[in-house]
Amino acid sequence: MIFPGALNSTMLRLNRIAALFLLLAAAVARGDEASSRVPIAELIVVPATIHLNGSNRQQQLLVTAKTASGRLFDVTHDSEISLADDALASLSGSLIHSSRDGPGTVVVRYGETQTSVPLIVEGVATYPPVHFENDMVPLFSKLRCNSGGCHGKQSGQNGFKLSVFGFDPRMDYNALVKEARGRRVFPGSPEQSLLVLKASGRMPHGGGRRTDPGSADDVLMTQWVAQGTPWGDEHAPRLTRIEIEPAERLMTPDAGQQILVTAIYSDGSRRDMTHAAAYTSNAEAVAEVSEQGLVSTGQRPGEAAITVNYMGQIGAMQVLVPRPSAPNPYPQLAVHNPIDQHVWTKLEKLGIAPSPLCDDATFLRRLYLDAIGTLPTADEVRHFLADTDSNKRPAAIDAVLQRPEFADYWALKWSDVLLVNSESLGPRGAYAFHRWLRQQIADNRPYDQWVRELLTASGNSAKNGPVNFYRAMRTPPELTKTVSQAFLGVRLDCAQCHHHPFEIWAQEDFYGLAGFFNGLQHQKLSPDRELVYHAGHQPATMPLTGEVVPTRALAAEPADFSAADPRIALADWLTAADNPWFARLAANRLWKHFLGRGLVEPEDDLRSTNPASNEPLLAYLTEQVVDGGFDLKAVTRLILRSRVYQLSAATNDTNFDDEQNFSHHLVKRLPAEVLLDAICEVTGVPEQFAGAPLGTRSTELWDNRLPSYFLDVFGRSERESPCECAKSSDPTMAQALHLMNAPEIEAKFGDPSGRVSRLIERGLSRDELVAELCLAALGREPTQKDRDVSDALFANQLPQPAAEDYLWTLLNSYEFLFIH
Amino acid sequence: MPTPSNFNRRDFLRVGTIGGLSLAEMMRLQETCAAESSRHDVNCIFLFALGGMPQQDMWDLKPNAPSEIRGDFEPIDTAVPGMQVSDVLPKISRVTDKLSILRSMTHTDPDHGRGYHVMMTGKQPGAGDFNGNQNNNHHPSLGSMVSFFGEPGPLPPYISVPNFLNSGGPAFLGASHGPFVIDADPAAPEFSVRDVTLPVHVTESRGRLRQEALRQINKLEQSAERVSGPVRSLDAFYEKAYSLMTSREAKEAFEISRESESLREEYGITSAGQCCLLARRMVEAGCRFVSIENGHWDTHRKNTYSLRELLCPAFDQAVAALLNDLESRGMLDKTLVVISTEFGRTPRINELLGRDHWPNAFSVVMAGGGIKAGQIIGATDKLASAVVDRPITPADYAATILHCLGIDHRKVMHTPLGRPVPLVDGGKVVSELV
Repeated sequence: MIFPGALNSTMLRLNRIAALFLLLAAAVARGDEASSRVPIAELIVVPATIHLNGSNRQQQLLVTAKTASGRLFDVTHDSEISLADDALASLSGSLIHSSRDGPGTVVVRYGETQTSVPLIVEGVATYPPVHFENDMVPLFSKLRCNSGGCHGKQSGQNGFKLSVFGFDPRMDYNALVKEARGRRVFPGSPEQSLLVLKASGRMPHGGGRRTDPGSADDVLMTQWVAQGTPWGDEHAPRLTRIEIEPAERLMTPDAGQQILVTAIYSDGSRRDMTHAAAYTSNAEAVAEVSEQGLVSTGQRPGEAAITVNYMGQIGAMQVLVPRPSAPNPYPQLAVHNPIDQHVWTKLEKLGIAPSPLCDDATFLRRLYLDAIGTLPTADEVRHFLADTDSNKRPAAIDAVLQRPEFADYWALKWSDVLLVNSESLGPRGAYAFHRWLRQQIADNRPYDQWVRELLTASGNSAKNGPVNFYRAMRTPPELTKTVSQAFLGVRLDCAQCHHHPFEIWAQEDFYGLAGFFNGLQHQKLSPDRELVYHAGHQPATMPLTGEVVPTRALAAEPADFSAADPRIALADWLTAADNPWFARLAANRLWKHFLGRGLVEPEDDLRSTNPASNEPLLAYLTEQVVDGGFDLKAVTRLILRSRVYQLSAATNDTNFDDEQNFSHHLVKRLPAEVLLDAICEVTGVPEQFAGAPLGTRSTELWDNRLPSYFLDVFGRSERESPCECAKSSDPTMAQALHLMNAPEIEAKFGDPSGRVSRLIERGLSRDELVAELCLAALGREPTQKDRDVSDALFANQLPQPAAEDYLWTLLNSYEFLFIH
Repeated sequence: MPTPSNFNRRDFLRVGTIGGLSLAEMMRLQETCAAESSRHDVNCIFLFALGGMPQQDMWDLKPNAPSEIRGDFEPIDTAVPGMQVSDVLPKISRVTDKLSILRSMTHTDPDHGRGYHVMMTGKQPGAGDFNGNQNNNHHPSLGSMVSFFGEPGPLPPYISVPNFLNSGGPAFLGASHGPFVIDADPAAPEFSVRDVTLPVHVTESRGRLRQEALRQINKLEQSAERVSGPVRSLDAFYEKAYSLMTSREAKEAFEISRESESLREEYGITSAGQCCLLARRMVEAGCRFVSIENGHWDTHRKNTYSLRELLCPAFDQAVAALLNDLESRGMLDKTLVVISTEFGRTPRINELLGRDHWPNAFSVVMAGGGIKAGQIIGATDKLASAVVDRPITPADYAATILHCLGIDHRKVMHTPLGRPVPLVDGGKVVSELV
């Protein structure tokens, strides 16, 4: 490097050079072009003409370098930016503020390359007319005055209340101008307004100083008051949309990219809002974003969507970071069905090569555990491994989907989502609901049809299972949240009390949906039975104002109620083929279950600000759900047959850190119920659940409150929230201790009727014994390593304790505890 | 971000000779010269009053406020002249010389889930929907940070009792820095911590054979970085579980029945009392951070009744007994006791005779661990509704706790991708305490 001679200098000098080094290191980190000084063919500055119309206007610049090969990279914060005439504007970095009228030029220089763009400053003498909704409300959001913790909360703050996140500008206007006897604003002496004094900290303010005296924000507030606190021209241009630049960018690891956000108004005028917008990344592992809209990529290749929100207008920038050492040429990949094509297309863009297919034993175990929550038996494994039919995988998939355990396992999954909770429903209700759900799966009834029956259910809760859906959650607000979460993947909770902070949902949407459930009646028949019915439509009212809200579905027109029970209209809308969420959520749930990660993640959080990691694939799967008549088993089959599902979990040099593009199988821990059943199956000793017949498997249980430390410690669903976020599959030390030491599990190893005892009674040789145990627990024949491990245990012990110890070892091994 | 002045000459030499170091690597290097402190032997008992403790009815009384604000409690004198607490805390009033009250805590999250997060981590959670039931962890909890920076000992470094505390999770530090959860109430007569010993019929030697076989079978062929995240984190737990099983001292720490009846009664045979006593045993045996959840402080209704009859008697007795016991064992200087909560409660009593959520101004209490006790820090206005002197943010509070435990809060943790994240974002240690 450049400064060995500096080593003997003073600390001061050292520090200066250390700073230099940091800058250099930062430059190196920003990608190879910058460091190796790839010749720059062109510097592109956005906007091409800088127009500052009025005093106190600003413009963020975006400077992009283009190489001879056409590659683009951001140099906004690495360029020297200067003004031909300093008096026209002031510069802070790449941000320009107007100061005097006139035409001028901004000169931008990066390395050896230089360009200039015209600057036009106008109307500085007159402060532009302030518009409350367009100018002041965004300022309150930016300064966080209207956040839920300050003046935005329900009760306001110190008597001053703003609408949370500025969703009600009219109310905010009244609060400032008309309340508190006008003390908040003094047009006669704008600087003496409480608004200005408090925000700038010139008067004590519980929220601290929010603006610097003399700053653009401070001047804006003062000017609004000086102009007589105008509401603004009713015909003033409205914000119509925001524009994001760049919309997408191919980036290197450890690189930066400034985003430019421009607000577009109804008259076509444009204003820079880069420093007022809010940013979020959906994949911080790949790229994160600062409050100023500066994106920085990490070490991991992949894709991220940076969502930009300004005054409820949403935009996004796509970031793609290919692996620097991409395979070249990219391999030709086999395709089982269109799922594969969608995944391979994405992987090729990212420079990631997928893993090969997994072996047959791994496939069979994965298939059984994922599809039916059950281990294949030793005989099933042997039979499958010996089968030479090239079509044996599809055949095994078809066979497994017909098994009764398929209905057990998926009834369990749906019971978690639909809150089949014996504590809230009582045993009769939970039993009836679970039975009904299992029957729908067993009959492979189309998903839209059984959901329709559930949503419109009426009658006696002990006899008509789906009626119980209306008993765990009973009130219209609870049902609104549950239905939107469970069937649509829309999280409406925020909108119960105020406008959703980063989605389009308002309180009217919440109570519009709640109207479908208003009038729902619960009549007690006996201590554990209820008659549930709908007494006819009554629209809901807003909790604070009592205003009647027309009943309507999400983003839909007010409903038409020709039928007596408004839930019929809801079910029509919800299960319609063109409902934007219903089929999409079903497809995404299936994908998450089998591939270990949703295309949208979390799988039940579908919103515009949470894009899919592979949208074409999710669109394709959604289409399959709809076109196949909501036959979820058919879509399951499609997923299982794909090459993507059958990939090995072992990784290569290009995909070892990929977790979002399905380039290799993601290992999953066996879920609580499946793990307990697997332990029972391998030890040959069933679990005895209180009140359930001996031999009942935990995946068959309808009662989620049967006492079981095992299920609790491994995290069975509490069934108190329809949100997948309420579950945790994180491992804990208590789980490890339980698997190693629990007396209940230990008793199964030595049980006289258990697998070990039975095998020993049959007089098997050590090798045979080890093979049987290995096949039962791991679904494969033993290897030399397994033989070595078992030899050490059998060397100085009798066969019974040695076999028990070997089984203990297998059941604590990672190979057993995970689906690979 | 590092500033050049953080680099000393030796580090600079290393940088200079290595050359071509990435910024992230340089930052990692920088962290190694963060200030070391001599407090590595200070542990923490962290008692969380779940629901929101009413500041004005316990720690920051306003006897001159109108009755609808003041409520039904009277200030009483305490062991420290001039320091008053509520008449509902008579036992604590006699040990105030061991504690300091921070009356000027303030943040902006009036929601339980978010308030819990900010007070367990020191960091305001990001945007998102919060559901009080989930581990809504956007930043590692204080306990997880202590676990991360601590030396491995015979006991898990971070234990929760009598259940998991929401937002008590490790976030990106990984599952291995989550709490060991004792999911049982030590006040229950049959209380024991299960599964920490070998099953009855398995001898020590057989146990060792099994462990050796397990090590062999789990020996992974892949390099460590290629092993999937879930497997890696379970692996960490197996290691910790095994070391716990093999330490007698550690196992005895869980046996609360080894304490004398009289001491158990002094703490009170209540969840709060026995959790505090168990916490002291575990800290004594080498646990660095015990978090205790003490529930039901969300007094939206019948605030006076709830405090007087249900909550404060057990709380008052437990806290006073804990401080006395720690002192008589000579452990107080080495044990920081924190009494925390999501937020305070509204100044005005509502129609249901309760108080609602109020993050703007509320009180927390710290004792032991070498802090300067007997102080009141900060002040609120005449309604206990706003901080008028020395606001203390959750970041300041978190920085102070970490500082007392010998951890520089300016240190940087890295996400699994190498992204640097400071332990505490922008907080300052409350200088009056240290």
